[in-house]
Amino acid sequence: MIKAVESAAPSREERLKAGIAFCGTCAKLQNSLNQKDGGCLNAANRSFSQTYGCQFTLSLGILNTIRNAVVIMHGPIGCGFCSTANVGMGKAYKQLRDPSASGLVWLSSNLDETDVISGGEKKLKEVIFYADKEFRPETIIVASSCVPALIGDDIDSILDDLQNQVTAELVPVVCEGFKTKLMATAYDAVYNGILKKLTKYPNREEHLTETDLEKQEREYQIKRTVNVFNVGSMSRADELEIERLLTALDLNVNFLPCYSASEDFSYALEAALNVSICGTHDDYYLKYINENFHIPYLIDTIPIGRKNTDRWILKIAERFGLEKEAQALIKKENEILEESLVPFRNNLRGKRVFVSGGEVRIIATAEVVQDLQMELVGLKGHHIDQFVKPVFESLKDVDDIYINIATQHPFEQVNIVNRLKPDVIIIHTGSGNITAKHGLPVFPLYGPSYNYLGYSGTYEIARRLNRIMKNSQFNKNLSKYRALPYKKEWYEKEPFAYIKEK
Amino acid sequence: MSKYVDRPRFGCAMAGALGVLRAIPRAIPIIHASTGCGYNVYNGTNAGSAYLGGGYCGATSTPSSNIIEKEIVFGGEDRLEEQIKTTLEIMDGDLYVVVTGCMVEMVGDDAESVVKEFAGSENPPVIAVPTPSFKGNSYYGYDLLLEGLVKQYIVPKEKKEVRTVNILGILPGQDVLWKGNLKEIKRVLQLIGIKANTLFGEGETLQDIQHSAVASLNIIVSDVYGSLTAEAYKEIHEIPFIRTALPVGYLQTEKFLREIGGYFKIAESVIEKALESERDIYFDYVERIADIYNDVDFQRYSIVVSDANYAPSVSEFLSDELGWLPQLTVITDFLTEQQKQKLERRFEAYASGLKPTVRFDTDTSSVRRYLKDTWELDSNQRYYDSLGPSVILGSVFEKDLSDEFKYPLITISFPVTNRVIMNRAYVGFNGGITLIEDIFTTLVAGR
Repeated sequence: MIKAVESAAPSREERLKAGIAFCGTCAKLQNSLNQKDGGCLNAANRSFSQTYGCQFTLSLGILNTIRNAVVIMHGPIGCGFCSTANVGMGKAYKQLRDPSASGLVWLSSNLDETDVISGGEKKLKEVIFYADKEFRPETIIVASSCVPALIGDDIDSILDDLQNQVTAELVPVVCEGFKTKLMATAYDAVYNGILKKLTKYPNREEHLTETDLEKQEREYQIKRTVNVFNVGSMSRADELEIERLLTALDLNVNFLPCYSASEDFSYALEAALNVSICGTHDDYYLKYINENFHIPYLIDTIPIGRKNTDRWILKIAERFGLEKEAQALIKKENEILEESLVPFRNNLRGKRVFVSGGEVRIIATAEVVQDLQMELVGLKGHHIDQFVKPVFESLKDVDDIYINIATQHPFEQVNIVNRLKPDVIIIHTGSGNITAKHGLPVFPLYGPSYNYLGYSGTYEIARRLNRIMKNSQFNKNLSKYRALPYKKEWYEKEPFAYIKEK
Repeated sequence: MSKYVDRPRFGCAMAGALGVLRAIPRAIPIIHASTGCGYNVYNGTNAGSAYLGGGYCGATSTPSSNIIEKEIVFGGEDRLEEQIKTTLEIMDGDLYVVVTGCMVEMVGDDAESVVKEFAGSENPPVIAVPTPSFKGNSYYGYDLLLEGLVKQYIVPKEKKEVRTVNILGILPGQDVLWKGNLKEIKRVLQLIGIKANTLFGEGETLQDIQHSAVASLNIIVSDVYGSLTAEAYKEIHEIPFIRTALPVGYLQTEKFLREIGGYFKIAESVIEKALESERDIYFDYVERIADIYNDVDFQRYSIVVSDANYAPSVSEFLSDELGWLPQLTVITDFLTEQQKQKLERRFEAYASGLKPTVRFDTDTSSVRRYLKDTWELDSNQRYYDSLGPSVILGSVFEKDLSDEFKYPLITISFPVTNRVIMNRAYVGFNGGITLIEDIFTTLVAGR
């Protein structure tokens, strides 16, 4: 019996007691995390805030990658404007998975003053019919923003009514931005839509005759198949490295949700294990699949850095009784990598590093920093929840390391960086205009065209970090000639001065 | 009622307003809206505007009240007040401008009365300009923001300076060449003794905006945009305005200078002298490509896909300066029937005697349809007079069209994600040279 999918995913502050505002040491943070409901982390917010992604914009990070799909931004003209940045690159990344993939097409239902009063249903229908006829996509995804939520458009029933009048599968993604301060709720919102419409057993041709051997072979393949739940910030090179490691254990690998076609969500139900790359992304979906489609899942650490990659592979191997094979693989991989890292360690040793971005990724990347014998001086995470715990285990001596929890909010970053005086900053996108003016080398925390994951990813991080440290003249000049927008009084205050309990 | 849009080539009203604030040195925006609005707008504008960047306090540094469900139920004015107070403590600026998103407008927050509490203190001025994005796009937001400044910030000046003008109609961010264009407009007007304040051009500061009421004329270099601002200047500061086309290249800029010169009754000899000197420089450069143009036949059919400012001027430039064959021009903005008629007239008096097919359509996929309609299809006849060779001047959305028809694409209008644009211009004399450079660079790129 498959449980009905709820009409919309709950916010993560409710579901996971996640938090977005904290300043203090790692020890203090871990202490709070271990308290019931995340201690004081959950409710905290700021009296001064800066813009960051909402669940709508972050949902597009996944939705815009789906192949053979058209995305409808159901809202006023500006919602989804950020997709402009994906036009060219998005197509190239899709074609790395399918050379014939077409580029991103999105439409705005362009709700105006009249619709705000009378409802957006009429416009939504018109745009769906247009999209269906003009582009003939397999899937039409309707991402609905704040305005339809407030005026009460019932997206699910509008789409249900239309479904038999169009050829595309209509997928509702309810992701109004005002619902949550935690933009990571977006992942749940996307999966909620996928669950509603795309998660169904594939329509396989029945074999009139199937020998026992053929049946065994088919079932054996399923028993050796792992779905790896990727993230939009991964590259194709990352996927190839993960695939290399898992196929070395004789496992079959599928990647989803990013860059999938809609039917991939069906085929993915013929698998033995669902594995999350990053815990922050997938628990909503994987738990539902486990309960209703009986595929077990693994949400543990992220395979960035040697320790985490070792652990991630071993955890998967355990599910298949392949521990011995995995140990041998891990040993071999580490031997080769260890040797290759030596010259970089000689250059990087002792350099002070500040790491900022998504909670799981920063902690895992900090392990690479320690592996390179650099000095980790501070961390800054977008939000905090339980999924960070297993990753923390890879770090050593971090109790006194300063950690700031803030989704973006570069004003806290500048204050902290000013105190910690790092030599290099590893950081998520979105604040380059500010970070540059620290005058330091800046290394992107992720990049959809670079390899960060697995053993080869560790080597690539080391190699690129070593390169980036060689010349930071570009940022130095900017720091000298372009001012930061923060008053000098701000640097004298404590970085947590604007965090409030409620 | 408006219609849906297939890949809009503009953001919302807030995007237009933030584009203006991005352009004004030390102006600090305070967004009163849902969490994602500011970041969404930044991502669209940064990439689409050929990597404009966040600048001084844009991108994730933009102060924003980040309202959530609670404020939508109970009202967000208290949260806005708190955000303004803390912004004044932290952000270092000379003018703070509250812009609003759809949610707070729908629940009826009164940002204008909230900012009143900060008036008259030792703080720099804080003003509010509501920018409800269900009411319009970037073009509207540009106008709302500037109108707000005219009404609330610009200092009244009774005494006007003769031959001093303000330039309106070029939108920072939405016009990817805005800064270079403003610079060139300023330069060409200077040639005939007119001092132009472009409000946020090179070297201009907030002071220039604040004291812009000394101008004796506003020139809107746009057939359709900037009305609210110009009307506000007229009503409050008694500055009349005239509209001109966006002048691209020698011929149009000559016409532009004669028009403005005529308005100010500048001596014919002054204008002639300026034109003579510029003409000499201009055609000295153009002459360079006389060889390649004629040696290898660089005449092309052209397809222009752009906004109401660029599309008519660029089409005319291609026809009357490059000697090309303007086949199709698609103007991609929301326009009234009256505005469309006005723009249509820009296509009626080409020196070449040619006239492109002109279409008004906001949908990206429509361009392909018009292209097929405008030329007889290949029905596999023995001899077929194809629409080729052709060149597309448009946005990066025309990439697929360019690939399908094998027509090279030169990106000139939003969004432009495949180029980095800094101080280049396509308007004026220098702009014409640069546009020629970019077009012919594309044609020789494979050599």
